[in-house]
Amino acid sequence: MNKKTDMPVMLSKPIEAPYTPSALSYWHILPIIAAMMIIPSLAFSAAGDEQLSPLAVLKNWIPLLLEGFVFNLVISVCAMAVGTAAGTALGLGQISPNSLMRSGSWFVTQFFRNAPWLVLLFFAMFLLPFEFSIAGLTIPMPDWFKAIIGLSLPVMANVSEIVRGAIRSLPSGQWEAAESLAYTRRQTLWLVILPQCVKRMLPPWMNLYAILTMATVLASIVGVSEVMTLTGRALSAEGGRPDLLAPFYGFVLLLFFAYCYPIARYTLRLEKKFAVIN
Amino acid sequence: MKLRTLKTIAAAFVAVGIGMGTASADALDTIKERGKLIVGVKADYIPYGFLDTSGAIIGIEPDLAKDVADKLGVDVEYVPVVSSNRMQFLEQGKIDLMIATMTDKPDRRKVVNIVDPNYYSSGTNVLALKKLGLKSWDDLNGKPVCGIQGAFYNKATSQKYGAKIVAFKGTAEAYAALKGGNCAAFVYDDSAIVAKTKDDAWSEYEMPLPTIDDAPWGLAVQLGEDAFATLMSEMIVDWHKTGRILELETKYGVANTPFAQAMHEEYK
Repeated sequence: MNKKTDMPVMLSKPIEAPYTPSALSYWHILPIIAAMMIIPSLAFSAAGDEQLSPLAVLKNWIPLLLEGFVFNLVISVCAMAVGTAAGTALGLGQISPNSLMRSGSWFVTQFFRNAPWLVLLFFAMFLLPFEFSIAGLTIPMPDWFKAIIGLSLPVMANVSEIVRGAIRSLPSGQWEAAESLAYTRRQTLWLVILPQCVKRMLPPWMNLYAILTMATVLASIVGVSEVMTLTGRALSAEGGRPDLLAPFYGFVLLLFFAYCYPIARYTLRLEKKFAVIN
Repeated sequence: MKLRTLKTIAAAFVAVGIGMGTASADALDTIKERGKLIVGVKADYIPYGFLDTSGAIIGIEPDLAKDVADKLGVDVEYVPVVSSNRMQFLEQGKIDLMIATMTDKPDRRKVVNIVDPNYYSSGTNVLALKKLGLKSWDDLNGKPVCGIQGAFYNKATSQKYGAKIVAFKGTAEAYAALKGGNCAAFVYDDSAIVAKTKDDAWSEYEMPLPTIDDAPWGLAVQLGEDAFATLMSEMIVDWHKTGRILELETKYGVANTPFAQAMHEEYK
C-alpha cells in the first residue's frame, strides 16, 4: 500500500490530536474543599470550647443557603430566556437588509455588550419602579424581577453577537444556492441558514449561560436575597466569627462549581462535535 | 406597521411612568385595607435585626415592629434593608415604616418623618488590641482602621482623627481583618463592642477610648403621614414607659443601655 512518494499529503502519518486538558473528576474537588473548610477550623480551634465548630454552624445554615442558591438559578434561567429571545431578534436585526434597522441593532448590541454588568444591574435596580399600575391594576415589580431585567441586557447583546457571528460564519454558497432555488429571504433564513446556525451557536451560548450564572451573585450588591446576601447575613447572625468566613464562602464556591463545571465540560464536548472542519 | 406598534408600546410605558407616584391615601387606611404592615428592618445587624437559620428575620427591631402590627390588628411583613436603601424604600412607599438602626440626623428629617421621641441610642467606639495601648482618638492618626461600608462614623474617624478607614461589607469580614492584623482597630457601635470584649475569643482586645457621637436612633414614616406618626409616637412612649426596650435587650442578650434606662425612668 505504501508507495514511494515525495508528496507529504500521501504519507500515512497519524494525525496528532490537539492537546486537551484532562478533565477533573468529581473526586478531584474533594481534597480542595476539605482543605478549604477544615484548615481554617483547625487554625481557630483554640478559640473557645462552647462555640459550635464551623462545620456544625454551616450545617445549620445549609438549607437556607441552598434556598438562596436555587434563587440564583431561577434568576439565571429567566435572564437567559429573556436575553436569548431579545438577543436573537437583535442579532437578526444586525443582518437586516434595512440599513436603519441594521445600524440601530448594531448600536444597541455594542452599547450593552461593552457596558459592565454591574452598572447595567444598578440601572435596572434604581430606574425601574417597585410597582406600576396599568388601568387601576397595581403590578409589583420585586427586586429579583429587576435583577432578571438588568442581567438579561448584557446577555441580549452577547446573544446578538453570537447569532450574527453564526450566520456570518456560514459559507455564502448557502445563500446563493437558496437564491437559485427561488427561496425568499425569509425562507432562506428560516429553512436554510438558521437550522445550520443552531449547532454553531450552542457552545458559545452555553458558555454565556455559565458566565451568567456566576454573575448572578452581583445581585447581592443591589440587595436581592440570593445566596451571597444570605451568606453575609448568616455570618453576621453568628456574631461575625472570623473562622466561619472560609467554610461559608467555600460552600458557596462549591455550589457554583458543582453547577457550572458540568456545563463547561458538556460545552467542550459539543464544541468538538460541531467543530467546523473546512 | 411594526414601527407603529413599537411607538404605541413606548407611549404606554411613558404613560405608566407618569402614572406612578401619585397614589397616596392615608397610610393607616392602606395598611388596614391590605391587612399587613410592611416594615423595613436590618437583616445583618445582630441583635437589632438578623436572620435565624430558617431565614426569618428576628431581633429587637422586628419585635418592636410586631408590637405596632398587633396594635393595628394586622399581620407584619419584614423587608430587609441596608443603610444605603432604607430611606429610598420608605420614600417610594415600598415599606410603611422603617425601624432600621438609623441615627437621627437633621438632614434625614428632611427626607423622611422621623418620629419623636427617639427609641434607642448608641455611640461610636473602637475595638483594639490591649497591647496597642490606645489612649485617645488621636492615637489612631495614620493607622489603618477597619469599618463597615456605609457607616456615618467612618468619615468622622478619618477626617477628625486622621485614621485610614478600610471599609468592609459585613462585620464578619471586619472582625477577621482585625484578628488578622490588617488594621489597628475596628470602629463600630459601642454596644456591639462591649459584647465582643466579654467574649473569650476576644480577651486580648479592649474598648479603650471614650465613646463619641452618642446619637439617638429614630424610626421613621413617610413625610406627610401625620396620623401614623402620632400613633408611632404614642407607641414609643409606651415602649419606654413599660420598659419594653429594656426587656428586649435582655431577651437578645445585650446589657441594658444607659439611654434605654434613662428613658424608662423619664416616662415611668
